[in-house]
Amino acid sequence: MTEATLFTITFVLYILSAFVYLASLFAKKEKWAGSGLVLAAAGLVVHTAALILRTVVSHHAPFTNMYESLSFLAWASVLALIVLDRKFRIPRVAPYVMLIVVGLVALASSPLMPKEVTPLVPALQSYWLWLHVSVTLLGEAFFAVAFIASLLYLRADTEEKKQKMDAVSYRAVAVGFPLFTLGGLVFGMVWAYKAWGTYWSWDPKEVWSLITWFVFALYLHTRIVMGWKGKRSALIVIIGFLAALFTYFGVNYILSGLHSYA
Amino acid sequence: MKSFWKFFESVKLAIVLFIILTLASVLGTLIPQGRSAAEYAARYGSLSGLFVKLQLTGLYHSAWYLALLFLFALNTIVCTLARLGPKWRRSFRPSPEVDDKSLQAMKIKGRARFFSPLPDAAERIKGDLASRHYRVKTSGEGGRLAILAQKRRLGWFGSDAVHVGLLIILAGGVISGLTSRRANLELRVGQTADVPHALFQVRLDRFETEYYPQGGVKDWKSTITVFENGAPVLTRVVEVNRPLTYKRFSFYQTSYGWDWENPKLEIVVKKPVDPSYSKTLSLKVGERLAVEDPDFTHLSVSRFVPDFVIGEGNEIQTRSTEPDNPAAQVEVWKGEERVYSGWTFAKFPDFGEGHKVGQASLSFVLKNYEAPQYSVLEAAKDPGVTFIWLGCIFVTAGFFLAFYWPPREIRVVLEEAQGKTEAVLGGFASKSREDFQAEFDTLVESLRRTT
Repeated sequence: MTEATLFTITFVLYILSAFVYLASLFAKKEKWAGSGLVLAAAGLVVHTAALILRTVVSHHAPFTNMYESLSFLAWASVLALIVLDRKFRIPRVAPYVMLIVVGLVALASSPLMPKEVTPLVPALQSYWLWLHVSVTLLGEAFFAVAFIASLLYLRADTEEKKQKMDAVSYRAVAVGFPLFTLGGLVFGMVWAYKAWGTYWSWDPKEVWSLITWFVFALYLHTRIVMGWKGKRSALIVIIGFLAALFTYFGVNYILSGLHSYA
Repeated sequence: MKSFWKFFESVKLAIVLFIILTLASVLGTLIPQGRSAAEYAARYGSLSGLFVKLQLTGLYHSAWYLALLFLFALNTIVCTLARLGPKWRRSFRPSPEVDDKSLQAMKIKGRARFFSPLPDAAERIKGDLASRHYRVKTSGEGGRLAILAQKRRLGWFGSDAVHVGLLIILAGGVISGLTSRRANLELRVGQTADVPHALFQVRLDRFETEYYPQGGVKDWKSTITVFENGAPVLTRVVEVNRPLTYKRFSFYQTSYGWDWENPKLEIVVKKPVDPSYSKTLSLKVGERLAVEDPDFTHLSVSRFVPDFVIGEGNEIQTRSTEPDNPAAQVEVWKGEERVYSGWTFAKFPDFGEGHKVGQASLSFVLKNYEAPQYSVLEAAKDPGVTFIWLGCIFVTAGFFLAFYWPPREIRVVLEEAQGKTEAVLGGFASKSREDFQAEFDTLVESLRRTT
């Protein structure tokens, strides 16, 4: 089976998962959420196979251009969803996360994204590519779950729902922020030092990672030291996620710099 | 002094600084940094002067941005120090003694009654806590005993480790800014150069560009030899992502190029009237080569460009240093009289065909062009780097401790009356309270079962 076939099967499974989840949410059939999770997990398995196959064919990490990195971000988001769902049961958050995942995969499949395997330019030939990109994107996937939970907090109507969304959002940041710091900033600095001879160049992508980091640091300080919870916390998470999204996506298309590989 | 301390002890200051630093950093990505004055003038018109004055064009190195980082560092130092002392005492020199009121105020509580004297009950509880990896301390006498059990005490210091790590990173940045040395070495194969600020030299032995079978550059490799006191010390291949480090200096493959000043050229001369006529001439730019031919006596190349383009003022220029459109200006002489001058292109041989030279018609082809390649290596010494990695280790470990090493504390007060012992338990955890509650409940449950 080719990577394209596996990718299509993945896409179908994710769409089915999102559909079942949304049906469960709007028909108020909580039992269906279990099937949504099973479909998402099945999609994740096939997606993993697709990523492995691409790695074998291309001889390099499966996140070196926009198509690959969108696909990997979708994979990481499903993984984040499953991890958090197993620990905290989040049937109300999951449908929207799966919608984001479907959006990411749709974007990856669009004709705008070249899909052919291209050989790696010299700057990317390093095992730090694996560490830097995968850990950063995994962190950003957890931010995506925190973002959904924060949005749901803002439109929750009962105190119980609000508390749950606030807690889910915090838990997702508690995983995502250390991963983002380690993958994006620490591994990024180590690799930059090996490849460019300087660990920090104030390149727009670096600066935007730092901006994202500042926003989540603000979130933690206001929350833990000053006791901000609820609405203001949710708004900071939303801003933080948008900053992370811009770091990932916007910088490549709007600002130019050293990181223009995709 | 006191008000100074108070000012920097405030978390509100940290929050204000986070917001200002965020906004300033965003601004720096909206205005391109470190461009020429002309570019800013074209882009922003009359505003450009103001931008330069406010140091917005080199924002991250500006005095005010660095001042913000400095305030941020002071704030971090004072906040961390102010909290560290009490936290340290609480974690490592705690008193097991607790009054009833504070015990009652603890959010997680439990009770158990033992039908045995106090020492037996205390042993029982201490054993149970120890088996759950708690460190146990006791104090009290007679009919009353207070027990304090703690675990994962380092978890209290996660945020402090992150703060210390950040300060080390900032210090590393300052050290880098003040003491790092960088220089680009442009080396042709065989050339030796002094490494600035170092007492040794490097020689480029070999430079090659590797290509993928389907095209595209795979790697640039420079083989370099380090010389110290005139003697070779070591030879290594430097490639992108694989720098060589020698005596605190690192050498990075940064760039490459060709020295087009003096290429070796090959021009083929043909005559359309005589298909069997073909003369290959090897020459350099400016060299006048004598040729035995009825139609002309000499041929020369007056100019060579690797990437031919006609500029705005109709002058001939090279667009880049890549050999994308190599072109040579060929001149043909009959004695001292120049009978032809024109450009010939390696990639567009048609342009060279059938030129009128005196009475005859000649074709010129730029068949070959060779120039020595050079490799650009960056030689860098950055003593700040060690601090950066040390700081990164602190930050990473701190995050782990803060989020995934939640400290727990259980206090027990035992009181004996008429051979029975009454135990009041209280628990405290700043994070993951649900898990702690579960552990606490099983502990109380197991104590109750055995009483």
